[in-house]
Amino acid sequence: MRSDLTAEFFDELGSRGHEPLLGKVTGSARFDVVAGERTERWLVTIDKGDVRVSRGNAPADSVLRANKASFDRIVAGQLNLMAAVLRGELAVEGDPRLLVRLQRLFPRPQGGRTHRQAAGTAGREE
Amino acid sequence: MSDGLVRILDGNTFVVSDARGDIEASPTDPTGLFSFDTRFLSRWVLTVNGERLNPLSVDDLQYFETRFFLVPGTGTVYVDAKLSVIRQRAVANGFHEELTLLNHLDEPVDLSVRVDAGCDFADLFEVKDALEKNGKHSARVEGGKLVLAYDRGTFGRSTAISASAPARIDNHGLTFKIRIGPHEEWSTRLDVVTERLGVGLAREATGDPKRARVRMRRNLERWIDEAPGLECDWDPLKATYRRSLVDLAALRFSPPISGGHSLPAAGLPWFMTMFGRDSILTSLQALPFTPELAATTLRALGDWQGVGLDDFRDEDPGRILHEMRYGELTAFEERPHSPYYGSADATPLYVVLLDEYERWTGNRALVRELEVEARAALNWIDEYADIQGTGYIWYKRRNEKTGLENQCWKDSWDSISFRDGRLPGFPRATCELQGYAYDAKLRGARLARLVWKDTALADRLEKEAADLKRRFNRDFWVEDEQYFALALDPDGNQVDALASNNGHLLWSGIVEKSKAKAVARHLLGPRLFSGWGVRTLAEGQGRYNPIGYHVGTVWPFDNSFIAWGLRRYGFKEDAAVIAAGILDAAHFFDGRLPEAFGGYERPQTMYPVQYPTACSPQAWSTGAPLLLLRTMLGLEPHGEHLVVDPALPIAIGHLELLDIPGRWGRIDAFGRGRVEVERR
Repeated sequence: MRSDLTAEFFDELGSRGHEPLLGKVTGSARFDVVAGERTERWLVTIDKGDVRVSRGNAPADSVLRANKASFDRIVAGQLNLMAAVLRGELAVEGDPRLLVRLQRLFPRPQGGRTHRQAAGTAGREE
Repeated sequence: MSDGLVRILDGNTFVVSDARGDIEASPTDPTGLFSFDTRFLSRWVLTVNGERLNPLSVDDLQYFETRFFLVPGTGTVYVDAKLSVIRQRAVANGFHEELTLLNHLDEPVDLSVRVDAGCDFADLFEVKDALEKNGKHSARVEGGKLVLAYDRGTFGRSTAISASAPARIDNHGLTFKIRIGPHEEWSTRLDVVTERLGVGLAREATGDPKRARVRMRRNLERWIDEAPGLECDWDPLKATYRRSLVDLAALRFSPPISGGHSLPAAGLPWFMTMFGRDSILTSLQALPFTPELAATTLRALGDWQGVGLDDFRDEDPGRILHEMRYGELTAFEERPHSPYYGSADATPLYVVLLDEYERWTGNRALVRELEVEARAALNWIDEYADIQGTGYIWYKRRNEKTGLENQCWKDSWDSISFRDGRLPGFPRATCELQGYAYDAKLRGARLARLVWKDTALADRLEKEAADLKRRFNRDFWVEDEQYFALALDPDGNQVDALASNNGHLLWSGIVEKSKAKAVARHLLGPRLFSGWGVRTLAEGQGRYNPIGYHVGTVWPFDNSFIAWGLRRYGFKEDAAVIAAGILDAAHFFDGRLPEAFGGYERPQTMYPVQYPTACSPQAWSTGAPLLLLRTMLGLEPHGEHLVVDPALPIAIGHLELLDIPGRWGRIDAFGRGRVEVERR
């Protein structure tokens, strides 16, 4: 069976405890992930960077809704969150500033490379 | 407008039409209704009984509304017009047009009034570069509205057009069959609404357009009231100052994430969006006048600060964005602007702005709020920008297809060259970047000590800054000519052209005192100084061209920072000479400085020649007179006080700047022109 990238992402997010990138953020966002007839929901609650993830249909400051296939690509770093919003693949309701903060949580296409490799130059080794 | 086009705008929504109010956009032509980088209307043509109209006059009422007076007929045969047509148009969630026809006859007239409408939904990038579309266009009449739409998968944009008077609506426009009694008039309101904006964010309720207009008028009045007042013997400066304030108001832009606060967008028509560099430099220029722009800029850019490595977007952790776009090409990741990070100067300048903001306003809360962002920016300088590992900021794009080659403010392909015209390879380390890094480190150290209470960081930054200054003055100094090289090439060789960047080095403070005089002599010398201002590249260099974008033209914004740099090193009179030249030029452009103008010798043309495709109004050109006022009056915060040390050109006479906001509350500054300026 194929692993569930979206579920893994939220599991991992829930285990982070404090996320410094969200140190100033307090609010809640619900992710509605649509797979055919079913909608899976994750509620991410942030209190000055302390992140809690739970399941279920609770009201939130911001609601993000997309197909499972799109979410899987977003959490894999294959689809940029903002591009997905502009494209209409990800619908957003509620507080837009929260969206900008949350986009920091999603992986970038290159996870492991160092910056000098990424820059394509030899550079001095540290 | 010199090109005959009429522009009105509100934030990043703007309308560009001809002098009749008509829009007939070709794929490559920047007319139409634009919002969030997409064209929402490309055809809007008014006819009466099948005839086009002729413009009598255009009244620019405000930056967001205009009025066209028209008569039927072609050419010059409108002397005894029996009918007048008035179109009054205002931007607000699209635009609204009050269309009025006046019958001047003693008898009734029957008329067929037609408005043709259509849209190509082009992305601004497509308009700029003439690209083809991949989606599907459609038009339908629905609920008394003409709906024009464009769809490509989940991507959708639409425009809805309706009228308050009864109309026959078809897929290509609206027709009004009307009778107007003798000496009577008929009118209708036309609403063009950007329905599906596609930013995925709910926009404010449209409300009544009349009330929206009143709100915008009040907002503009308040903006001008809150800015310092200016009194001066030289009237053109008063006009330029007012024009700058109004244009700066027009160029304010509220990104969907800013909670209604605004920051300066870069310029009309291509750049009505958030730009790291432009928004920061404009906020710096405007700081003594409208400090709240800086606060919004710092918050919005901080929100979008890079967190990871993304080659397509040239993103690094801590990097401040270069440019944000909302159109179709960005949505489909055919362009990297969601946002794009390929700027090597915005990140150090971010720290510079944060510190300068605190020096003026005393608002330490914002410095605390943005501590994480400022630290990440400082970290970027050493960890990610030094891609050669030599202790300098270098740039080389990782997105080789659609990224930017030159990631400094002179971003055109040929802007960085050797004296003999050769172009260096990549990565490149342009000189002003090192100046900004130096300044960012020292200012970061001040904030660390004062607000973040981190003495270790402050000590380290100060040590690094001192080391950078020492190395820079050794590695970039062109000994035979006594100026700083434009850049280092990948092998560490000096890219030895003489360029205006030397002025930014003075502004940053990286120049050793013993070298400052030689630099100032070059800036005011015949090769760089045209009589109007300092050229981007000196006459006599291989690539010098008086109308080359970054290789010989004079940029007002560049000159305002050069004047600030000259002041910093005590060359007050030289700063006044530059201020005099640029403000004289502004007078020729009715107070609205273009992005750039020709680098011809002043006596050669007698007036400044506008660069052909320059943006206007453009934010940092609009900010230039403001920064020049600061430098001429010698305004400098010192502790809780504002120091005033004027050095004004004689022609300005008496100058008063009243109610300058800052940590001192409000304070007035006075000066009298005493500096002789030779008009060459």
